Amino acid sequence: MAGLTEYVILSAILFGLGAIGFLTRRNALIMFMCIELMLNAVNLSLVAFAHFRVDLSGQVLVLFIFAVAAAEVAVGLAILIALFRHVKDVDITEYNLLKW
Amino acid sequence: MDPYFLVFAIMALGAGVFMISARDAFPSALGLLTVFIALAALYLHLHAPLVAIFQVSIYAGSILVLIVFVIMLLMTPGQRLQEFQRNLSYRIMGGILGACLIALLVIGLKGVGEFFQPREMTADFGAPSAVGELFFNRFLIHFEVVSILLLVAMVGAIYLAKRRS
Repeated sequence: MAGLTEYVILSAILFGLGAIGFLTRRNALIMFMCIELMLNAVNLSLVAFAHFRVDLSGQVLVLFIFAVAAAEVAVGLAILIALFRHVKDVDITEYNLLKW
Repeated sequence: MDPYFLVFAIMALGAGVFMISARDAFPSALGLLTVFIALAALYLHLHAPLVAIFQVSIYAGSILVLIVFVIMLLMTPGQRLQEFQRNLSYRIMGGILGACLIALLVIGLKGVGEFFQPREMTADFGAPSAVGELFFNRFLIHFEVVSILLLVAMVGAIYLAKRRS
């Protein structure tokens, strides 16, 4: 049986991968998916804590995060499509509408 | 160390690295899907079957489908699905994802052993009247909700298909 430490380490590495991807990639869609990866890493640690501390509220919090993630995806992708209509590109360095 | 944890942890980490290093958004989405499925398997292991079900249906189901849909919408004409399918790393990723899904199904089935015990057969089992009775008693609310869903879908389809004048 893997202990809590292993799950938290796995969660931390996944979160780190998401953060690295978010900071190094320029494709807006991949950056978006990296945010999802970070959310999932947090979910894993919450479920692991809920299991090892025998406290169901961790799982309930995960379900709330699911709802927030679904809303975030719907709004975020809609913004991305609206941006793409203007710039015709998903490279974030091309998004300079607010720069002057 | 627990082999179950090890297998799915390595799958999640490998898919995560593949995801952030993939050149295009589509293989990246495939990597993300593999991470979702591997995490769902870990949730089953952590006594969180409800979270695992939602992980598969909400994350791997609706959120990822939405992301792939937008990737397809925003794809430049040069990027074609066939090009990704010829790519070796893409095929390996697909293989890992398939193995992950099969493992998840097998493990999920292992937990429902009592459902495989057969029971005594009754005389009217499967008769249309028996099914109808169940429909209009125990599942009446579900029945009404489904009829409203069908009505909304019908109205929506007519509205979308109607020629704009």
